[in-house]
Amino acid sequence: MNRPVSSHLSAPAAGSPRQAILGLLADAQNSDGGWAFAKGGDSRVEPTCWALLALADTGLAPSEMARGLDFLKSTQLPDGSWPATKGMNSGGWVTSLGALTLAQFPAHEKSVHAALQWLCDDYPRDSSRWQKLLKSLSARKQHASHNDEFRGWGWTPRTSSWVEPTAFALLAFATVVKPEEALGSACEPALLPVPPQLAKPMSDRRPLAIGLLYDRMCSGGGWNCGNPRVYGVDGEALILPTCWALLALGDAPDHPKRAASLAWLEKSFPTIASPGSLAVAKITLESYNVPLPSARRLLADFSPDDLEGQGTHVAAWAALALNPSRVWPARFSESSATPRQAQP
Amino acid sequence: MNLRNRQLIPSFSRPPSRVLIRKVARYEEDLLAILYESLREFALPVKDKTVFLKANLVGHDPQGFINTHPAVLAAAREAFLKLGAARVLIGDGPALDRDTQAILESVRLTEFTGKLGADFCDLNIDDVERVLLETRASLLKELYLPKTVLGADFFVSMPKLKTHHWAGVTLSMKNLFGIVPGSCYGWPKNVLHWAGIDRSILDINAAARPDFVIVDGILGMEGNGPIQGNSKHAGVLLFGDDPVAADSTACRVIGVRPEKVDYLSRASTMLGHIESSKIQQLGEPIAAVQTPFAVVSEFHHLLIS
Repeated sequence: MNRPVSSHLSAPAAGSPRQAILGLLADAQNSDGGWAFAKGGDSRVEPTCWALLALADTGLAPSEMARGLDFLKSTQLPDGSWPATKGMNSGGWVTSLGALTLAQFPAHEKSVHAALQWLCDDYPRDSSRWQKLLKSLSARKQHASHNDEFRGWGWTPRTSSWVEPTAFALLAFATVVKPEEALGSACEPALLPVPPQLAKPMSDRRPLAIGLLYDRMCSGGGWNCGNPRVYGVDGEALILPTCWALLALGDAPDHPKRAASLAWLEKSFPTIASPGSLAVAKITLESYNVPLPSARRLLADFSPDDLEGQGTHVAAWAALALNPSRVWPARFSESSATPRQAQP
Repeated sequence: MNLRNRQLIPSFSRPPSRVLIRKVARYEEDLLAILYESLREFALPVKDKTVFLKANLVGHDPQGFINTHPAVLAAAREAFLKLGAARVLIGDGPALDRDTQAILESVRLTEFTGKLGADFCDLNIDDVERVLLETRASLLKELYLPKTVLGADFFVSMPKLKTHHWAGVTLSMKNLFGIVPGSCYGWPKNVLHWAGIDRSILDINAAARPDFVIVDGILGMEGNGPIQGNSKHAGVLLFGDDPVAADSTACRVIGVRPEKVDYLSRASTMLGHIESSKIQQLGEPIAAVQTPFAVVSEFHHLLIS
């Protein structure tokens, strides 16, 4: 799944929208090597990861790329996790993003493995035995019908499982799948070897997390944050959680719920009006080799400045979406060897 | 940086609060005139100041009963500018969907406000600052909060009038969950649920005290709020210089006993007034606008009758 970025250089055509976005991203790098959500702001782990993924194969000066990677490594906590912002003394969901980002670049195995170890040790609190006992003794009615046997990840430690952090943890796990496992799946073999001490915990956590994603799917396909039904009312699926979940399930065995969610995304694509959702939906559908439906808006409708104005992450998603040979996320099916032309 | 973390004042030594109720049947009315005249009654110290309007943007809302209506936000912005504010920002950090732009598109905000550019702040991704929670009502010791909110000269909470399936009601105080950044705490901001919703509301409101409240109660939501309830027309706008008093008055308008709402009851000791006798009621009397709202079964004990 994670190929070395240097082997897939895809410098954008001069004057292309992608080139303009990448130029803005490169200009927005802070002196500490990281990126902020808004140009000139404080460097944070999340925008730094997205910027690095978008700029990975573009020929950004190696020294600048190295400064970005150094920022990531310098902000990793001793326990292997990453905090959402400087000063926080505990990690959170961005640990998954940090791991999958560093895994795309050579020579960061130690950091990636430390992050994966932290993820393996980080169990959500809602499905602990103690919480299950409390829930069974509580007279209060349960408002949501979750299966607590499944366990994913929370946004912050010691909270509940949610769809997006669970999806990102699975995406981080996918950077080190065993070669023999990869043979039976649609994704490309991973480059990073799975460390022996993580083989069992990862293989234990993965099915629980996949089960959780399917358990939390909305009734008509797709996902929201992780509450498909509250007080007997069906929740509506949202684009971004659906995309991250689908990308996380890309190398899992076929499942009718995955097909239903992919169909939901395909059906919803023409109605998307925001560039962030549009970009990630495009990436997701292309990863599954689903022909892109006609869209109400195209990424090219948004100026690079508008994209950057909505955050470094949105600009980076757009740059990734406009990259026909992007390294991450990978395409899943056998036919991914012949990527389609990217939509403007 | 200014007064966000103001001193707490015990109820017994706090002067009376002021709450104004205006009947407004429809969003198509002259909201700018209504808001301007209403705000003038409070003689707010906003001249040459930066005002931050904390909207309540929860989800996709093409029908206008989930989020603070964009017509109210636009009118409030214009009214504060007319009162001499140097800059009026609008912002929120939606709790359930990180694609804030998708929510803005669904409510067509800029059709009402014009292009906002940097005058809209997505609080979920703003730069943050560590704030110690000295009240310690919840299990939280600290939160990282948006610098834009902490640095605003005048901070206005602008909730939608809604009932809520976990908290009973969601008004100006609960609206402050939206200043807790998703980029730090996720979508939803689940750490607040684990710390205790009611008590987290107290800590956040003690740390980042709103200076003023404007409640959009023209069209509200009853039942399974904040997103899955039913539309309910109440036909009011509420204004208040004390979040506890404004929320308590809003409760009385929708047929809820504020002293039964856990966080309002607790807030009344240090953050504002809950008793009618300590709230100077301006504009319409409550009885003239009272519109009972349904609540989920767990909160039937909140209802006045």
